[in-house]
Amino acid sequence: MTDEALQYDAIVIGAGHNGLIAASYLAKAGRKTVLLDSSSYIGGAARTAEISPDYLVSTAAHLFSAFPRKIEKDLKLAKHGLIWAARDMPTVALDLQGRHITLTGKGKQDTSVMAKHEPRDAENWQDFSRRMSKFALFLSKYLGEALPDLGNDVSSYEGPLAALQLEKMGAKDLQSFLRFLPSSMSSVLDRYFEGKLLKGALALDAVIGHHAGPYSPGSAFSYIYKQGLAKLGQGLSYPVGGAGAFAEVLGEAAEALGVRIRVDSHVEQILVEDGKAVGVRLTDGTVFHAPVILSSVAPKATCLELVGARHFETDTVRHLSRIRSSGAAAKINLALEGLPTFENFTDTEYGGRLLIAPSVMAVERSFIAAKRNELPIDPVMEMVIPTYHDPRLAPMGHHVLSIMVPNVPYDVAGGWDERRDEFVKKVIDTIEMYAPDLTAKIIAGEMLTPPEIESKFVLSGGHWHHADMSFDQLLAFRPTPGMANYASSLDGLYFCGAGCHPGGGLTGLPGRLAAEAVLAQRKTR
Amino acid sequence: MTEIDLFRKGRQVELERTNPLSGPAVEPDPAWFEQSSNEPPFARHVHTTPLHLVTSVESRTNDWTVWNGYTVPNVHTHLAAEYDALHSNAGLSDISPLVKMRISGKEAVAYLDHLLTMPVGRMKQHDTRRAFMCAGNGQLVTEGILFRLDETEFRLITRSKHLDWFLDAGIGFGASVDDISGTLAGLSLSGPRAPLVLAEAGLERSADLARGKACWEEPGRMPTYVSRTGLLGESQFELWIDPEDAPLLWNRLLAAGKHHAIRPVGEAARNVARLEQGVFLEGRDFASAFASSSTLVPATPYDLGLGTFVKLDRATFNGQAALRRLVTSGAGRAPVAFTIAGNEADQLGAIYAGGRKAGRITSHTWSPALHTHIALGLMDIQGLGTSGAYALDVLTFEGVAEKRTAHFAKRPLLAAGMANLTE
Repeated sequence: MTDEALQYDAIVIGAGHNGLIAASYLAKAGRKTVLLDSSSYIGGAARTAEISPDYLVSTAAHLFSAFPRKIEKDLKLAKHGLIWAARDMPTVALDLQGRHITLTGKGKQDTSVMAKHEPRDAENWQDFSRRMSKFALFLSKYLGEALPDLGNDVSSYEGPLAALQLEKMGAKDLQSFLRFLPSSMSSVLDRYFEGKLLKGALALDAVIGHHAGPYSPGSAFSYIYKQGLAKLGQGLSYPVGGAGAFAEVLGEAAEALGVRIRVDSHVEQILVEDGKAVGVRLTDGTVFHAPVILSSVAPKATCLELVGARHFETDTVRHLSRIRSSGAAAKINLALEGLPTFENFTDTEYGGRLLIAPSVMAVERSFIAAKRNELPIDPVMEMVIPTYHDPRLAPMGHHVLSIMVPNVPYDVAGGWDERRDEFVKKVIDTIEMYAPDLTAKIIAGEMLTPPEIESKFVLSGGHWHHADMSFDQLLAFRPTPGMANYASSLDGLYFCGAGCHPGGGLTGLPGRLAAEAVLAQRKTR
Repeated sequence: MTEIDLFRKGRQVELERTNPLSGPAVEPDPAWFEQSSNEPPFARHVHTTPLHLVTSVESRTNDWTVWNGYTVPNVHTHLAAEYDALHSNAGLSDISPLVKMRISGKEAVAYLDHLLTMPVGRMKQHDTRRAFMCAGNGQLVTEGILFRLDETEFRLITRSKHLDWFLDAGIGFGASVDDISGTLAGLSLSGPRAPLVLAEAGLERSADLARGKACWEEPGRMPTYVSRTGLLGESQFELWIDPEDAPLLWNRLLAAGKHHAIRPVGEAARNVARLEQGVFLEGRDFASAFASSSTLVPATPYDLGLGTFVKLDRATFNGQAALRRLVTSGAGRAPVAFTIAGNEADQLGAIYAGGRKAGRITSHTWSPALHTHIALGLMDIQGLGTSGAYALDVLTFEGVAEKRTAHFAKRPLLAAGMANLTE
């Protein structure tokens, strides 16, 4: 029943930002591409919606820390209406006494801030940021490009390891780097700093979006990995109109390049013939054919649910079914009738990324609670006031507050229905310790629990990154050893979502690199 | 019942018997096999098979060996006598330690096609087939025999246990996989007079079985599945039976075989016989892909000359991608058999071809039937065919290696027709 009209060069499943970007790059290279999404809008977790009438907010993902300029230029996003409302947003570690630490990422400025706040740490700050920056720069070389597929064979690791050119780092930095890899963030921080608040903020940065605490081994690596990704981006940014507007821009750019975007098209099955992926079937029975299929759905679900385990060897099925994706988060969005009053806040602070993480232990405790399927007693969180930069999202003078709470259990003890209000109250009470007039200003609010994030954005386990971004699930091991480099072991099936290298976040890199891998591996249509 | 109790009972039984070949068959008391509920975990130092009691009755040497964790006789009475029984008369052995899997369900065929290197294809009911399964790197996980019991039910007998692998391989298939090792005992009857013994024991249909076929029988109303399978060649039969009936069948066969000089045969004699057949054995000549061994290395089907059991061009199966690569690259090893002059039984090591190390001897023995030392080994394909004679490393007790000349031999080293050589 091959309908000529439904025959494409490539099918991309999932119109999240990675799917949109992958489809755009393919179309740009002249491939006839269709992009299918099960929901009725595009963007996936990059979405802007109303909390209540007139109050708009980025429902899920709310900040861009590593969106590369290259993609912006390649796809001519500015032409299609991408405007950044804020660039290089500072990070503010909130202090109960109003002695907040505001870090801009600019070395000298930060050192002077530190000198004022915690003179003992100022000296070490320079050393710390220099070293982190060096490691991040080293890593970032490998994050903006496809990595060699190491396969399952240990004997083949030597070449790629040599290609890393670790020795170029210099003996002292290399030693420190190797020590760093398995370390916990807390032990690294203890080596450098004394100030509780600074350590708390850096610890939160290391573990946000992971199922880990700052005492977990490998959490230090998560920190530099994130810094490495940031090196590829343009600083902490926020687009006009929020994440959803950004997705709309991507959609327009994609359509301008010739991508056919089809929403409300739920792919039920990836069709396999003679060991090759040949098309997809939608729930309504429509069949699309293409020799290349890119899935931005999590690799585990793509292979085991959409394709079926029988089309993969058992080693691969084992690898896939053991992908961990347990780092859930919750999102709370509030509509406010005015700016909440934080002590000692200036313009810079209101426009920044606000962190509530008073100490390393506070961050660890929230992870311990999550491990036990409990709610944190004192939640740690990341907040943004998007309306501060983009007033059009709310009526004049009014604001929205976007709150991301990491390390929230997917299966909370007692069930989310029972404990939802308790959790919201905890979060708001915590913020009120810093901004006492918050409750008085709340007009409306919404909360997305991990199971809601899962069902709303088709993210298994409610995991924003599709799979934990721990050392064993990153780089050439992402999504699994033997399937890195975007091609699955099934001929014609590729991955292009956050589940593959370099991982989650609003970076667009998995999408771009997957499309490039497809174009390189399949020179002809 | 504790181990000591079992042992005492065994002693009583032994006293009642005079000669295993002429004495009256002992009907075992079912109480011997009852499991005591108050037995502490790990109390059994010896993991026994359902046939342990009857084999221990026959043991005159107290020479045991461990196979898949079970204690089985290595030598019952005398190695030479048992070897002769296999070649000239009939030998009865306990093969219960083999792993038995039941694979059933609507998609059992699809599951097996995914698991094994060769699809089920046109296998009919009561057909059997050698079965090989590979890991993702193309190395053998284990090998065994596949039986088709009916349209949707199969039995897979394997040398080593890999239940987790079998279960993971079943993800996404409408098939159920059960380890039924504990519910099935195995007996092997081998030797030129094996068919006669079977006929005499009331298993007439089995006696006429073609090689590779199986059938149900009911000697003494004990349901028994008999197959003409096994690694010892043409005249081997394997009998699969409920553990409770197994000792009864054992005794029935011994009694029926009395006139054919049947003998219980231990693992030592069976190993010599399989070396003469030139059969490479997992755990002796190569390791499972999942095993860890200091002396053995894993092997692919091609390394063992089993390419005919691999069918590449079909739907995805385990090892497909790696085996394809192996076929293209042509790299690998080849199975070789040697005869070695002299009758000194030393430990054999590397194989040298034209002065260069080209492989390893994996197992070797003295073959009384061939009056020579025989050895199996794996050689690099490049090392093959450079010359007719090879040098073998001989590791002496002083640790000094010396070389010995070896000559290629065709497998099987002992042809089926030569079975009566020693008579």
